[in-house]
Amino acid sequence: MSTVLSLYRASIKEFVRDRSALFWTFAFPVIFIVLFGLIFSGSSSPSYTVGLVNEDDGAVGNALAQTFGQVKPFTIKTGTREAELDHLKKGQIDLVIIIPSGLSQAVSSGQTAKVQMVYDPSGNATNAQIVVNIVQQVLADFNSGYTHVTPPLALAQQTVTAHHESSIDFLMPGILAMSLMQLGLFATATPLVSLRQDQVLRRLGATPLPRWKLLASQVMLRLTIGLAQAAVIVGLSIWVFNVHIEGSLLAVAGVVLLGALTFVAIGYLVASLARTVESANGITTAVNFPMMFLSGIFFPLALLPAFLTPVVRALPLTYLADALRQVAVGSVPEFPMMVDLAVLAGWAVVCALLSARFFKWE
Amino acid sequence: MASTTDVIRVENLRKYYGKTKAVDDINFAVYSGEIFGMLGPNGAGKSTTIEMIEGLRVPDAGAVSVLGLRQPQDAKAIKQRIGIQLQTTALYPRLTVTELLDLFHTFYPGQRTVPTAELIRTVDLEEKADTRSKQLSGGQKQRLSVALALVNDPEILFLDEPTTGMDPQARRQLWDVVESLRQRGKTILMTTHYMEEAQQLCDRVAIVDHGHIIELGSPADLIQRYFTDIAIQFQDGQTSAERYAALPGVSHAATEDGRVTVYSTDVPRTMAALLEREREGGGVLQNLNVHGATLEDVFLKLTGRALRD
Repeated sequence: MSTVLSLYRASIKEFVRDRSALFWTFAFPVIFIVLFGLIFSGSSSPSYTVGLVNEDDGAVGNALAQTFGQVKPFTIKTGTREAELDHLKKGQIDLVIIIPSGLSQAVSSGQTAKVQMVYDPSGNATNAQIVVNIVQQVLADFNSGYTHVTPPLALAQQTVTAHHESSIDFLMPGILAMSLMQLGLFATATPLVSLRQDQVLRRLGATPLPRWKLLASQVMLRLTIGLAQAAVIVGLSIWVFNVHIEGSLLAVAGVVLLGALTFVAIGYLVASLARTVESANGITTAVNFPMMFLSGIFFPLALLPAFLTPVVRALPLTYLADALRQVAVGSVPEFPMMVDLAVLAGWAVVCALLSARFFKWE
Repeated sequence: MASTTDVIRVENLRKYYGKTKAVDDINFAVYSGEIFGMLGPNGAGKSTTIEMIEGLRVPDAGAVSVLGLRQPQDAKAIKQRIGIQLQTTALYPRLTVTELLDLFHTFYPGQRTVPTAELIRTVDLEEKADTRSKQLSGGQKQRLSVALALVNDPEILFLDEPTTGMDPQARRQLWDVVESLRQRGKTILMTTHYMEEAQQLCDRVAIVDHGHIIELGSPADLIQRYFTDIAIQFQDGQTSAERYAALPGVSHAATEDGRVTVYSTDVPRTMAALLEREREGGGVLQNLNVHGATLEDVFLKLTGRALRD
């Protein structure tokens, strides 16, 4: 075991000292996250769905409800208090405005009545602030129509925690899955083939070093890189783009490890089939492209035409992205978690067995 | 060559690639403490032979025993007791000389190994101990790979074309390392296509061509066996050797790339005849060179071809 650890330490040193490998390993996913983060997390679409609950049956309440309906960025849905709060908690609407019963009466008797507003401040800080401002503006305008000393309407804010899923929430696990796939393809298959082509593998066979120890150290290196990439991607998403991690980080790390293992096994299989670095590059590119676009890492699977469904369901990346979305941002599952994990494990085992059978050392 | 114990014995060794007979019935023994060289042009079958002895290739037929153990059955036990110079350190090019040697120590668990500092001294790389292997020159890399082969204090060291592609100075430095290993009583089996290297380093040489050993002996013996005469070399712009064979004192003549080699038992008489002929316009003597025979001459005489890279 100490030989494996020495080889592992050596390969980590080698990796850390290889500036360009280091750069591409981390820069590529970071560029993706930052690019998509900037595109999708900005307030480029200032539109908010509002659940309006009008419990007042007087003139003031109706007028107020009408005013809210005229606010441009608001799309109004009306319903009972229970139904709208439920929608808010499910993330289907952005806020709930409640006009309480007796509001008209209170206003006409010169008292200040409270309009209630319920929203989730954690989802997106900028959006929450905008919404509060809009509602306050509406109330201020409304109040200016009255000449009371005390303004007739005040805002009572109430916050809840709701499940939101913004585009960056959807994309972060996808980008994480993509970088794990590319770790297996580009950072495993091609280097292995060049080690063989440069006769390093054969020459190491001249020492008593058992081959499995070299392989074990290489797999450990890739898994370490996979975890480090995941840490950078998840960290950036949390701190820069306010992505909220629903599950435990430990569960995320577990799925990352399984995904890295699956794609490293696929990388070994590619290295078993390819004779030259050029053919390895060809195969990895051919595998990379369909996975990038057919595994739902950049857009929901529902957007793909139905005839592609069998392909989508065959690709391991589909299940890795789905599993990561479930544990990381609590997405609605495409497949049950157990199915995701079983498919990934199945791919890993099958590819590992085929590699063991077909991998050539020289 | 203190003793004549066999440490390597090769019998009727064959390796065919399709119709190509890379190694075709090779037999020899290497004695404890000697430097044994296989000399021959590229493609002669030297590397294939040495790799079958190392256990990197499986023979089609024949027997190989190393230190009394048999290849390939005892390959693992043999690997622990021999050292093979790796032609590449491409596995971890960004590790330093010291780090790579330390790493290789862990490949021999439970075995006595030579301390890294001592290995670095042996191959004269003290100043490069903390240099990454990819930044070493070709000659320094090769000396590092010799050091890597010495980690387990091997009883036999294998060097496959150790100085190919090196400049003369780097080659000399490596020869110094090999000489110092000889003085410590290491047995070395090496291949080379440089006759000068074989002549300088080897106690005994097997001349290999087309998968066969065509001669075997010490360099001095081989030269004496074939040449009591002196080589006269020159260019005459033509390629026919026959016209020189009948000159006085000439035992044998050969040409290679427009260069004529005339072997003479009586240099003054042969030279006089050559000069006479030139005066009469019968030929020119460009780049004239007179020297005692070398292994190169032996190879040329045996095969009719020069030993070039």
